[in-house]
Amino acid sequence: METAPLKEHLKKQIIAFLNLTSVKPEDIKDDQPLFGEGEGLGLDSIDSLELIVLLNREFGIVIQDPKEGRKVLVNINTMVDYIEKHRTK
Amino acid sequence: MLHIHQTTCISPQRTFPHPDLEELHESVNSRLSVIEPDYTGIPQNALRRMARSTRIGVGAAFPLLRRPEAGSSYSSVTSPPSIDGIIIGTANAGMEESIQFMKQIIDHEEGMLAPGVFVQSTPNTIAAQISLLSRNRGYNTTHVHRGLAFENALLDAAMLVRENPRHNYLLGGVDEIGAFNYNIDYLDGWYKKEALSSKRLYEDNSAGSIAGEGAALFLVNDRPENALARVRALATLHSKDPAAVRDQLRHFIDTRLQAGEKIDLFLSGENGDNRLLPFFLSCEDILDRDIPIARFKHMCGEYPTASAFAVWLACHLLQSQSIPPHIIKRMPGSTDPGNRGDKNTVACRNILIYNSHKGAQHSFIWITGTHALTTRPDR
Repeated sequence: METAPLKEHLKKQIIAFLNLTSVKPEDIKDDQPLFGEGEGLGLDSIDSLELIVLLNREFGIVIQDPKEGRKVLVNINTMVDYIEKHRTK
Repeated sequence: MLHIHQTTCISPQRTFPHPDLEELHESVNSRLSVIEPDYTGIPQNALRRMARSTRIGVGAAFPLLRRPEAGSSYSSVTSPPSIDGIIIGTANAGMEESIQFMKQIIDHEEGMLAPGVFVQSTPNTIAAQISLLSRNRGYNTTHVHRGLAFENALLDAAMLVRENPRHNYLLGGVDEIGAFNYNIDYLDGWYKKEALSSKRLYEDNSAGSIAGEGAALFLVNDRPENALARVRALATLHSKDPAAVRDQLRHFIDTRLQAGEKIDLFLSGENGDNRLLPFFLSCEDILDRDIPIARFKHMCGEYPTASAFAVWLACHLLQSQSIPPHIIKRMPGSTDPGNRGDKNTVACRNILIYNSHKGAQHSFIWITGTHALTTRPDR
């Protein structure tokens, strides 16, 4: 399945949801770490909660296990993989 | 009461970081919105979550937490201050986030809610963010008494300064034009129905004013050495009777000023609302004719903590030793009521601020400086 449109959509959602006003979708690499400074996008723990809410609202996904969340919220690729497998809408 | 050692102000005028009040920035769509700086030094992750009131409050506070720039005209301290408490006055901070959060609850049927707006949905967000970003664990309080929020913060700071000699406190007044509070106040008749430039604010004989916003912060303590200014007295009053306000002003002047002292400048919160004009005119009537009168709401607009802008302006006037012609309403020695003092000069140490919020909450704040103040010819 073609994942590029979903990745583009997810990047736009992340930017809008987290108010990343200085970031454009093309600035976020598919394998770029979402968290941490330097190479990462620089997100933090509050952002992780916002991303969990985003997954719930946009794709009907409920993440209840924190360990599972850590595996999902790594980069765009890991999020898209998880969305494709678990989305309910 | 207390001494002011540093001030900053983010406002609809060029007040931050270096004040330049010669050019008057006028309202757009009947709103005087702040000129936001680039917020250098504030972490981007924190900044992007902040509402405008929080941004301007934190943005104005930040320079006061660091060593002042050399030659800065509005600071007198020469080393980084140790802040013992943060005291903010605000009527509506956090209101936008509260509305967003409640909207989420409805839109998502009380399901999973984003935490960002929730954690910043209370008025104490500004003081809390300043504390978190500066790792300050001292006294932290927010006063929310609508049009007297800043005055109550000022009173709190004055009591703390009295109880704790040599302690420094960060005092501020912050509010924003939010969609919710603007619409409510507009529908309630507090803003002009027709679009009006702030440059014509005092010429329009109609109800309502122009919406404004701003953040004025002050580093205060009990030490007179090198202070920019001293807050000598504060009085507040709830009344809808202009005569009661006038009597309060007369009592304030009679009891607070000592023999030989006089008011050198009356800084009026007149806001272009013809319903409130009797309050200001009745106060002006009891002043000696040789006392100059200036106004400030055409610069900052009407908002609940506009008196904080007035205190900042008083400090700036005392420090810069000049009065921008556009703020002058009456100059001494003139028989022409419209004389704006093109060629007049006036020595000034004592500035008395009178502000009224919605014709119900009134305050008098007396500021004393150490320099002579003169007006410059209009350009």
